[in-house]
Amino acid sequence: MTDTNQSELLLEIKDLAAEVQGRKVLDGLNLEVRAGEVHAIMGPNGAGKSTLAQLLAGRSTYKVTRGEVRYRGADLLSLAPEERARRGLFLGFQYPVEIPGVNNVYLLKAALNARRREQGLPEVDAFEFLGLVRDKMRLMQMDDSFLSRGVNEGFSGGEKKRNEILQMTVLEPTLAILDETDSGLDIDALKVVANGVNSLKRADRAIVLVTHYQRLLEHIIPDRVHVLAAGRILKSGDKSLALELERRGYDWVRHEASAA
Amino acid sequence: MSAVAEGTTPLGRLAEAAATLAGGEVAHARRRAALDRLLALGLPGPRDDAWKYSNLRLLGRRDLAPATARPVAADALAMLPARDGTTVVFLDGRFQPSMSTAVLARGLSVTPLAAVLAAKLPPALEARLGAGDGIDERIRLLNAALLVDGAHLSVAPDGAPDQQIHVVHLATGGGAYPRLAVTLAPGASARLIEYHLTPGDAETLAAPVADIELGVGARLEHYAITLAGAHAIELQDVSVRVAADATYRHRHLGLGGQLARLDLRVRLEGEGASTQLSGLLLAEQSRQIDVRTVVEHVAPRTTSDQVYRGVGKDRGRGSYDGKVVVHKGAMKADSRQSSKNLLLSPGASLDSRPQLEINADDVKCSHGATTGALDEQMLFYLLARGLDRDIARALLTFAFAEDVIAKITLPALRRFAEERVLGSLPAAPLIREFIA
Repeated sequence: MTDTNQSELLLEIKDLAAEVQGRKVLDGLNLEVRAGEVHAIMGPNGAGKSTLAQLLAGRSTYKVTRGEVRYRGADLLSLAPEERARRGLFLGFQYPVEIPGVNNVYLLKAALNARRREQGLPEVDAFEFLGLVRDKMRLMQMDDSFLSRGVNEGFSGGEKKRNEILQMTVLEPTLAILDETDSGLDIDALKVVANGVNSLKRADRAIVLVTHYQRLLEHIIPDRVHVLAAGRILKSGDKSLALELERRGYDWVRHEASAA
Repeated sequence: MSAVAEGTTPLGRLAEAAATLAGGEVAHARRRAALDRLLALGLPGPRDDAWKYSNLRLLGRRDLAPATARPVAADALAMLPARDGTTVVFLDGRFQPSMSTAVLARGLSVTPLAAVLAAKLPPALEARLGAGDGIDERIRLLNAALLVDGAHLSVAPDGAPDQQIHVVHLATGGGAYPRLAVTLAPGASARLIEYHLTPGDAETLAAPVADIELGVGARLEHYAITLAGAHAIELQDVSVRVAADATYRHRHLGLGGQLARLDLRVRLEGEGASTQLSGLLLAEQSRQIDVRTVVEHVAPRTTSDQVYRGVGKDRGRGSYDGKVVVHKGAMKADSRQSSKNLLLSPGASLDSRPQLEINADDVKCSHGATTGALDEQMLFYLLARGLDRDIARALLTFAFAEDVIAKITLPALRRFAEERVLGSLPAAPLIREFIA
């Protein structure tokens, strides 16, 4: 990890605390993510993993009570969710919502063009876009029917997750946060999804995997692994920490943290 | 005649108007009987639970006499979507042969009523011109009291299948009281597309009444598209009887009018009969749109499905009042009701009231109703993909209406409805491509 210290600090979270409907969900969370890195945030159910992911993307249901978040030097919390997306922050949803009546592919094209406008690039036309999206669909092993359907409309759980990763590969974000992307996938689908994520690894991009299980990390190798519990990062380590968590569970981390 | 102060109240003026109508003694007696009953009952008012939203005080001082048809521009129908098949035009409630299709599709007959009203009619047809069979006798009485024209549309068993019959109601001012009787022979199928327009945007009152009978195994897809202007009051009353294994569909698009109301009664009288009702109530500006349905499961193994969507903008108001009655003996009846309302402005108001009355065992009935703002999860999803908030909101509004629009099987009509809905969204040019 020594060489990455020179690369750009993409995400910097300092002493973040947040609550939802008066209930504390994050409490003093610190995290730094640099370009080129893959992080995994693990933790027991209800630890605040999804809260963190949604809060970073701009979900207004969470109220920040303390701390700050900087994304590429800017105050992330002051940006509207659509602004965060255009600046290259991508959230892969744990439960992608179905939006019948809004075409899947037109949404994707609009999302891409919103991002390109922000980058000062010309918009892609329909023909160019279709070529691009078909390439990515092949990678994600999705058939043409996805082109004509409503957003996630009637998709199985696995199809929804593939669609999230398809969107990510088209949008080429700077910072991708993938919330439980592995849940509900069989082993073949997991490999396809992991393949899609791995295809995006680059020196100027970071990926944060929020996951409950270690099995995704057999296919996407993380540089850093963090344990999130009780609203903060209790322990960080390299990929061997994930294996240890798989073997020993989470309780020992909590005991260790409370003893310290 | 009762001692109502004529000329001052809407009913009084209706009575005056009825007395002056031509058509001979038989027609006159028929109208007078209806009028006397209506005078005794009175018009629906705010204390009437089923009419608490539809404000008939709007009738105010406007002219309610059946209008003598004024000339309309030759291109009055040009705004409508492309029409295959037969077109039947009513101008201020009177059949207009010059604007209607001369050559009819195979198996279709169109009998204008004006010519036959002067005579005593066969009892079956006579009964269909009266006040019975609707949800609310009073709107039928209003129509019967001022009846001057209408048509009997009949599709024979060997009629061209799924043929399109377009009925265009044009109102140019005053009252219009057309009566439609529609008969589908056993096994026949058709699409009946009714448009309601007010070229010139005059003050109008239209009380069109339709009486529909489907024979065994017949299929009718009935569209009611309200495009009337901001000074139009429209009180539609439709009553349908569905025989065994027949299917009746009603697709309502409430896209116009000052006060637009639909009372729709469907009786599933034969085993295996089914009905699917849907409506989009676009309540914008100061429009009031009310829909009341009563679906009766009379025979066993009958099914009904209702999907109503209301969109409230500005100071628009609307209501859906849907009642399903399962009669004794209608076992294995299956009924679903879904009513959802979307409120886009604080000044808009929409009400939903699904009701069930079950008098049989072994039935499956469900209903659900929601009223609220745009779905927060959907909105966040679109924003998290970088879409402008205005675009995201417009897209979700459109998607909400699409639940109903998607049920339109005629492509030209479906595109027309989509454009109409888009036209009332602020970001229309920006979201058009999403739905191409």
